Amino acid sequence: MSVTNKKSRLHYVSGFLLIIGWVGFAQASPRFSPQEIERGAYVAKVGDCIACHTAPGGKPFAGGLPMPLPMGTIYSSNITPDPTDGIGKYTFEDFDRAVRKGVAPGGKYLYPAMPYPSYAKVTPEDMKALYAYFMQGVKPVAQPDKPPTMIWPLTLRWPLAIWKWMYASDDHAYQPDPKQGAQWNRGAYLVEGLGHCGACHTPRGIGMQEKALSASGADGSLFLSGAKVENWYASNLRGNGVGGLGGWSVADIVQLLKTGRNSTGAAMGSMTEVIHHSSQHWTDADLEAVAIYLKSLPADPNKPRAPQPVAPAPQPDLHSVGSLAYAQHCALCHQNDGEGAAGVFPAMASNPTVESRDALNLIHVILAGGQTAEVKGIHQFTMPAFASVLSDQQVADIATFVRSGWGNSGAAVSASEVAKVRADIAKTH
Amino acid sequence: MKNSTTDSRANMTVHTLLAACLLAGIAAQPVLAQTASAPAAPALVAKPKPTREVPFKAPNLAALSHEPNGAEILYGYRLMTQTRKLLPHNVGAAMNCTSCHLGGGFVPHSSAFVGQNVLYPMYNGRAARVVSMADRINGCMLRSMNGKPIPKDSREMKAMLAFMAWMSKDVPADAKVKGAALYKISTSIKPDPVRGKAIYAERCAACHGIDGQGSKNAKGEYVFPPLWGPDSFNIGAGMARTYTAAGFVKGAMPVADSLHPPTGVGRMSASARPPEGGAQLPRGVERSEEGGSMSDQDAVDVAAYFSHQPRPDFPMSIYDWPKGGAPKDVRYCLVSLGNCTPAEIARAPKPPGGK
Repeated sequence: MSVTNKKSRLHYVSGFLLIIGWVGFAQASPRFSPQEIERGAYVAKVGDCIACHTAPGGKPFAGGLPMPLPMGTIYSSNITPDPTDGIGKYTFEDFDRAVRKGVAPGGKYLYPAMPYPSYAKVTPEDMKALYAYFMQGVKPVAQPDKPPTMIWPLTLRWPLAIWKWMYASDDHAYQPDPKQGAQWNRGAYLVEGLGHCGACHTPRGIGMQEKALSASGADGSLFLSGAKVENWYASNLRGNGVGGLGGWSVADIVQLLKTGRNSTGAAMGSMTEVIHHSSQHWTDADLEAVAIYLKSLPADPNKPRAPQPVAPAPQPDLHSVGSLAYAQHCALCHQNDGEGAAGVFPAMASNPTVESRDALNLIHVILAGGQTAEVKGIHQFTMPAFASVLSDQQVADIATFVRSGWGNSGAAVSASEVAKVRADIAKTH
Repeated sequence: MKNSTTDSRANMTVHTLLAACLLAGIAAQPVLAQTASAPAAPALVAKPKPTREVPFKAPNLAALSHEPNGAEILYGYRLMTQTRKLLPHNVGAAMNCTSCHLGGGFVPHSSAFVGQNVLYPMYNGRAARVVSMADRINGCMLRSMNGKPIPKDSREMKAMLAFMAWMSKDVPADAKVKGAALYKISTSIKPDPVRGKAIYAERCAACHGIDGQGSKNAKGEYVFPPLWGPDSFNIGAGMARTYTAAGFVKGAMPVADSLHPPTGVGRMSASARPPEGGAQLPRGVERSEEGGSMSDQDAVDVAAYFSHQPRPDFPMSIYDWPKGGAPKDVRYCLVSLGNCTPAEIARAPKPPGGK
């Protein structure tokens, strides 16, 4: 409790500082109208700039968040309007070039951890508002950027130009599809552009590039088809019945993005941060546009089709080792019939996380636990971490039981799969 | 509702009398034993007080198949977790044993069953006599379940006793299990039920309902028990007392509030344990060894609020603590204290032993 309290207090404090900063600067140099700055603040929320550009416990947008990469750790940069350490001296053209094209003043190429291939689609109007916000709506912080912990020649930036030429050469703002309605186009703009959903949900290729930046083109069916990120599996957001959004309605998607949960389950892992910082603040119209766009994505043909539905068994048999372990460790919350409790404990039956082809999220959440997204006005629930009390075999028994119980169709999980996830999680914490 | 309460009370009266006769038979009073209709049983002798503490470690339900009476134990587990469904004639409330003994008795600080069996027979101040485990279970049936006792020679009682024995199978006879009992809350903490109401709305209502009505699943079955109202535990239940309820709240509520597993199985052996940090997450709330995420004051306030809401009566309770020693949070009159009105005495069944 104290941790959560401290954290939310921190948010209040940072929000307060933000307001002070906003007031102070708006008065100091009234280059932008309050409306423009406010609009820019919303663009920044949708773009979720704060998630990467704020270190844990750090000042908003002052950077310093470590991002471990295979070749070393890079740190996000200070994007407050501090003239020395931040971006205070950026002209609009500098700002636009950095955000949308990945090139900072002086020709320095940015690491593509910055999702500029997606941000390239942001419209000039949104970029202008964003610029107004970062120049006058954000409090400047004098905090120099941390250099990456890489050795030469990995520290050279020019190879990033080649990367950009290979994978992110198209830097045109979003072009509406005339065959689609305004709502769909708004959704596509938010998902492919500002919201940069593909950064986590699209599989990456050999050069760490997203294999598709939109649903069109040769690899379009891979767009948002699911990918492994930080030992979680960022779900397939396409129309697949199993493991995708095929079974969700527009309202289900909106509810998840707004509250962190819906009737089938709760967001876990890094998605809780996205909901906390970003999507809970989106307008209902924008959330609906996103849901309509996502629902238009056909199923990824490379993933298995939904099997014939099986009649759900009303009770676990309480005879298999897995069902008994479930009864002892899980049924207190998720209930003996696997139905959980609406709005509190996710149901196991027909839960895409439970029966997903890749059992990574299920194994991860059993081992490491997790918290539902921190959303205003909604109670945050915690799933305990069972890593210290359950063996790999016990986790495998439970996972196999819930993946095959109550009509679920997920394949069995082995102890060695659990051992691998356990080792991977331990490496990152 | 009124009718059903009256009916069940009438039924209860008959059964209570029967139970009283049975109890009289085993009471440590030779005079009563001779006059009772039930066959005389040897007087119960209380176990000596435990001399040491052992860590909380529940047995493994998944290993039940290795037990010769595994099926009976499993039936006992089912009875504990689906009490209302399996014993509809004995359970009067929308409660299961597991409503208070979380997870079927596997969870620390919620009157866990681990180690209970070795403590019985035990002297019980409320009854002022030595009670067996079966007596104790039936005490719950009358009060927390607002129902009727389970016959001691029934298959159900035997299965529950087998389950209780199995839950203590690894506990030495002279030991007490650390963290099995409810968290002890100081009765010097003054309750503030107004503050408690606000805490209830914030921390409890999501599951137990803003009006304490509990919540049901799509099939209409209770998932979270009602904390007051006609389907809740009666005033004779321990949970209807402020500091007992506060101990439960402090140690075990709310669930899903901590990264610490609630099932109290103890840590794995060193060889099977994951690398250090394997269970850590950057965010999260840790439940302390002693209790949960609420302060003692929070727990007392919220407990005072919900325990004092309207709930079924238990007229017989006026004969509790016949030899004194009643805790100060008992919320009904006691004959032994001489503070009952003639009306309260008139509507109660005869005291145990027919005095």
